[in-house]
Amino acid sequence: MKRWTQSFWDWIEERTGISRVVRGLLTEYYVPANLNVWYTMGSILLVCFVIQIITGILLLVYYVPQTSKAFESVKFITSTVPFGWFIRRMHAMTANLFVFVLFLHMLSTLFMGSYKKPREVQWITGLLLFALVLVEALSGYLLPWSQLSYWATTVATNSVGSIPLIGEKLVVWLRGTPKVSQYTLGRFFAMHVSFIPFTILVVIGIHLLFMRLTGISAPPGTDKSKVPKVPFYPHMVMKDLASIFVFLAVLMLLIFHYPQFAFPHDALIPANPLETPLHIKPEWYFLANYQTLKLVPNEFLGILVQLLAGLFLFFLPFIDRSPERRPLKRPLFTTLATLGVLAYIALAIWGHFS
Amino acid sequence: MTRRGFLQKLIGVITGLSGLGFLGTVIGYLAPRREKGGRKILLSGDGSPIPAEKLKEVPYLVGLGIDGEPTIVVRYEGEMRAFSAVCTHLGCLVKWLPNKGEFFCPCHAGRFDANGVNIAGPPPSPLRRYRVYVTKDGLLGLEEIPT
Repeated sequence: MKRWTQSFWDWIEERTGISRVVRGLLTEYYVPANLNVWYTMGSILLVCFVIQIITGILLLVYYVPQTSKAFESVKFITSTVPFGWFIRRMHAMTANLFVFVLFLHMLSTLFMGSYKKPREVQWITGLLLFALVLVEALSGYLLPWSQLSYWATTVATNSVGSIPLIGEKLVVWLRGTPKVSQYTLGRFFAMHVSFIPFTILVVIGIHLLFMRLTGISAPPGTDKSKVPKVPFYPHMVMKDLASIFVFLAVLMLLIFHYPQFAFPHDALIPANPLETPLHIKPEWYFLANYQTLKLVPNEFLGILVQLLAGLFLFFLPFIDRSPERRPLKRPLFTTLATLGVLAYIALAIWGHFS
Repeated sequence: MTRRGFLQKLIGVITGLSGLGFLGTVIGYLAPRREKGGRKILLSGDGSPIPAEKLKEVPYLVGLGIDGEPTIVVRYEGEMRAFSAVCTHLGCLVKWLPNKGEFFCPCHAGRFDANGVNIAGPPPSPLRRYRVYVTKDGLLGLEEIPT
């Protein structure tokens, strides 16, 4: 067997020189030896993406994107198809953890100042990925056609309506009809299973390409040129694997012991376009936005505040140009960022209990 | 202009026009659909008419009204009142609180008085009101009120 695989490898090698590419990607690609656990978040996110693609394809085998059949098909997957419950829970739970780890990845980048020159493109593509993952999560939300799906989508698509002049038209374009309907389900289904995942894949490619071109940043306070270097494989791969297995353990814990985290009560009731459930709440990662919309008296202003916060983050590398990356050496930024994170968490908690 | 330059420009124009043509096709394909039913009576979710008698059994009714608009009909101070049930904030459906004589939106806690006027929370404008009457068949008829 070994001989056969070796001959096959030699055959490829003779024609392409592939081992040089593999060496360049793994054993002859050197990274700073002092990379900490925060540098493994990207690998966990890649694992999340792969899990979502695999479980998503499996769910597609039985899912029917029709308002009269969607809920029943999801119920069929969960209760009749062997291991269907596991695949669905894995898809839904990984979506939640995907967003959570993305938050961690962005926060570590923010506080370690890794968004600064020459890594502006990674920061911008990272933010774009964050937005795409949220759109992916939101579009997937509608597919089971539950009460939660229906009303979360109604509110989310209606938010666009506050854009002056074109808002109302945009809402109808997004939905395909004035109200959330079969046309909305069709659009969201196409977005969720093809357009957004492919876009995410392309942006991940750009993100990783620029990471390789600029090199991984060393932790703040250390001079990258003086830090000893180690090959990406096996050193960094082992660190990545350790984090990935911890992540998988948490994922399994949630899937087996806390499934209700991804499936609140309203997610288990078929959509009723004539009744908005009482105390309906969005997913935890939209709670801060939800509470902001509740607090700000003007709908357009509520959306604008959030848009401005997003734009500020987008242009951050061009606003904060100082090369200093140590958090304690840039007290103004660290204080503002910490307050921002605390405000976000406070709004989310308030939204949950309000 | 050289022949090469002319050909380059020509290829650019042809490619651009093809792209625009394709974009137009995509936009046409995705164009939203307007569902104008022209119905003037309150229908239930499955499309069957709701008898006016039913309003004696429950404090309020929600059904599909003119052009499929979710519509709420309540009995208040001896008269029937009909409004669009769609909250003017972000589109959730309001509920009628008979004890308070108010409409309440469960999504962002918006409140409207018995005339549909926004009185608290984030809704920016009143609920759209309809004239409601009992048809000769005992159904709930609806009419737009010109603004």
